[in-house]
Amino acid sequence: MMDPQDEETEVRAPTLAVDFVGVSKEYLMNGKPVKALASITLNVKEGEVAAIVGPSGAGKTTVLNIIAGLEKPSHGEARVLGLDLTVSNEHSLSAFRSANIGFIFQSYNLVSTLTAEENVELMMELAGWSDSGRNEKLTAELIRMVGLTDRAKHLPAQLSGGEQQRVAIARAMANDPALILADEPTGNLDQKTGLEIVKILLRLKGEKGKTLVVTTHDDRIVEMADVIYRLENGSLESVDRPTRVRS
Amino acid sequence: MEVWRALIGPLGFAAKSLRRRGFHSYLAFLGLTLTVATTTLLLLLGQDLATRLGIDSSMRSTFGISWLIFAYLVLALALVSIVGLLSSSYLVSSMINQRMRDIGVIKAAGALPRRLLSYVTFEAFVVIFSSCFVGALSALLIYASWSWPSVSLFKQFGPVPNAGASVLIEVPLTSFLLCYVVASVRVRRIVGSSSVNAISKQLSNLDLKSLGNPLRIKRFGSAFNLATRNVSRDRGFNRTLLSVGICIFLSMVVLSGALVSADTSTSYVVRAMPPHVMIVANINIYNQYVTLGTSFSGTTPIPSLDYVNESYMISPQNASAFRAISGVETVDTRLITMSSITGFVKAHFASNQDTGENINTQIIPEIDTGSAQALIVGIDPSNVIGDWYTSDGFLHSNDAPYMMIAGDSLVGNIVQMPLNLSQVSAFGFRYDVKSALVDPLNAGRVLYAPVQTVQQNLAVSGYNVLLLNVNNNPAVFSAVTQLAKSYGLVVGSQDPILNSNLEFLNSTWSHIFLIPILALTLTCGILLSYLATNFSRRFNDYVVLKVLGANVWYRLKLLLWESWGVLAISMLIAIPTAWAISIFFLVPDPRVSVADLELSTLVSALALSSVSVASATIYSRRLGLTTVKDLKL
Repeated sequence: MMDPQDEETEVRAPTLAVDFVGVSKEYLMNGKPVKALASITLNVKEGEVAAIVGPSGAGKTTVLNIIAGLEKPSHGEARVLGLDLTVSNEHSLSAFRSANIGFIFQSYNLVSTLTAEENVELMMELAGWSDSGRNEKLTAELIRMVGLTDRAKHLPAQLSGGEQQRVAIARAMANDPALILADEPTGNLDQKTGLEIVKILLRLKGEKGKTLVVTTHDDRIVEMADVIYRLENGSLESVDRPTRVRS
Repeated sequence: MEVWRALIGPLGFAAKSLRRRGFHSYLAFLGLTLTVATTTLLLLLGQDLATRLGIDSSMRSTFGISWLIFAYLVLALALVSIVGLLSSSYLVSSMINQRMRDIGVIKAAGALPRRLLSYVTFEAFVVIFSSCFVGALSALLIYASWSWPSVSLFKQFGPVPNAGASVLIEVPLTSFLLCYVVASVRVRRIVGSSSVNAISKQLSNLDLKSLGNPLRIKRFGSAFNLATRNVSRDRGFNRTLLSVGICIFLSMVVLSGALVSADTSTSYVVRAMPPHVMIVANINIYNQYVTLGTSFSGTTPIPSLDYVNESYMISPQNASAFRAISGVETVDTRLITMSSITGFVKAHFASNQDTGENINTQIIPEIDTGSAQALIVGIDPSNVIGDWYTSDGFLHSNDAPYMMIAGDSLVGNIVQMPLNLSQVSAFGFRYDVKSALVDPLNAGRVLYAPVQTVQQNLAVSGYNVLLLNVNNNPAVFSAVTQLAKSYGLVVGSQDPILNSNLEFLNSTWSHIFLIPILALTLTCGILLSYLATNFSRRFNDYVVLKVLGANVWYRLKLLLWESWGVLAISMLIAIPTAWAISIFFLVPDPRVSVADLELSTLVSALALSSVSVASATIYSRRLGLTTVKDLKL
């Protein structure tokens, strides 16, 4: 006979990419506990785009950190792609991250000493893909996808902000992840360049069917999201589209 | 309100800037303070040691061995000074490079170059001055609290009050001046360059020439390949390699130099006084010979004795009887006596070229170089036991009868260089000086001459000491003892004399080994500063890798390859070069124990590798605590 808890896991795992139930996070600041997240529940289905909006300091990055397994929740149940993050050790979380998660940052964060294509290829190496011929071919494809073939051998410092963010997207795709996390991906870019990034993200959603969790202030990204969450003072609430548009 | 907030002008700029960049300011201050403190302490200890050894070896030892020790100490302290100064300037240069972006931003914001220059230079001045001051003070405190009485050499003489007083001022002052000049030049160059270049710090730190040709060795894995790209694309890589390489090279010269010098000085003594040699003489002469032999390591005054007293003499027939014993390989027949000698430099022509083609030749008259008491040893060059280190070879059977070899303690006073112009007057006869040798007998105040000449001069026909080289058969020893007894002579081994002298040498060198050990510590400190600076510079890249999924082992491997890689390349070049310099250029006729050199290399490689492994491990653990929030915006 199946345990009711096992049954629940069996049902949730295949359909929910992110499944947070009552997740809270506390930090100690100068010896005093500070609540960053207060018992939030977040469900993101596979293939869905979830946008998390909210003011700076609301805890958006903390949510992404927990999804990526970089931080553990203080309380609650956190499962990502079926993996229970609360009981996993750092080694298995690193392996999980390199195999299943792509990360896009606001400030791009490419490895400064590697060229655009090397940054993309590095992600494949971290995922344990050892066939260098295949990696090179896939890298070239991804670089072409983000329109940077002629800039492939340039260092991050030789690229513009928009170009760096495109490399970061190609890198986030390099390990063919099931889940892509983006932390304000257009936050450092102008309107026009930001639009190019939004278009690429739309392609990820439409053509590749990737699950995306994006923290953003950019209306164009919120526009393409399937679900929208508002995070304020550590509390998360689902918002409907008209409310979002007004905000 | 805190006081520093109210400060204005260069002082306010420095106070606020250093406070804002807390960790990096602290790192720069600590690195520089440690370097200045260790260099000052090393030189203080070195000078103190040199003073004590000087007092000690003026009473015993020989001029040649003392010279070897002092030459080593002077060289070691000079090299330590270079290492200290080089690393200080490297640290200051790295510190200013870290400010490149800030300087660019302030300049771009409209700061006047001259004001910016004075503000940033003053900030560097504050760090350099405080580091040198605290470094010197720390060195003084450690030196003052040093437990002198626990070490026999220090117990013997007590504190040497003025040793190192000048070092305490000179080292910090030189470090300060050099660092300040390096900082000023570097700041001037950055302020003078385009703001755009200064702001694009990442790009200006990278070597674009190596792009597109990354080294990839599949066997070592992704972490190795990434490390080689990180290191080889760093524009400062060659400079770092050179700085770290020079520091390792110099500290290795100090370390292997100590070993080579110690082995060589031991070899000089063993060659002059080989082991397993029997001494046969009258009891009084025997005792005198032991006192003369141990005067190298002891301070007992040599008693006066009538060396050529008839009762002490061994006739040539008796000496031949020892030679006839089966198993006796060599009989070194000696006639020793203490005599007053006078040195001379022969009259000679001296030529010196004037301006143009004029050559002035003048006659230099004979010069009296003084008188002294010396042990004169008449020996038979064809049957001598000993393989001394000599400047121009030992006596040969076909040498002129009035030819002498001078002990090293007579060189420089009684016997002057060049030796072919030197003469020694003994027993009223003039001897030419053929060569000089290192000999512990009578602490190097000795002259070797053909035994027949000495016999003629003293009007005797026999010998007073026989040295016997015998095989290991106990029956031979017994036969020699029997024969000696029948002639009223005693037999003893030369080994206790040799052992006493070697013990003294080992004790002396064991004190000196403090210098190379501290020099190695200094190099480890320099390496630690370099690694800390380097890791801090690339901190963001490491956090990115962690966020992307690089596991602990991957991060550790990357840090290890980056730190140990530079070290390995530096060691690969520096250590063999240091060996070569130490073996071939440091001391004449060196004797080297391969095991010692291997051990010193192993110790250095292990110490330096431990520093790189420890810093990589600590940094890897630090990375384990980071999250996305630690990434710089």
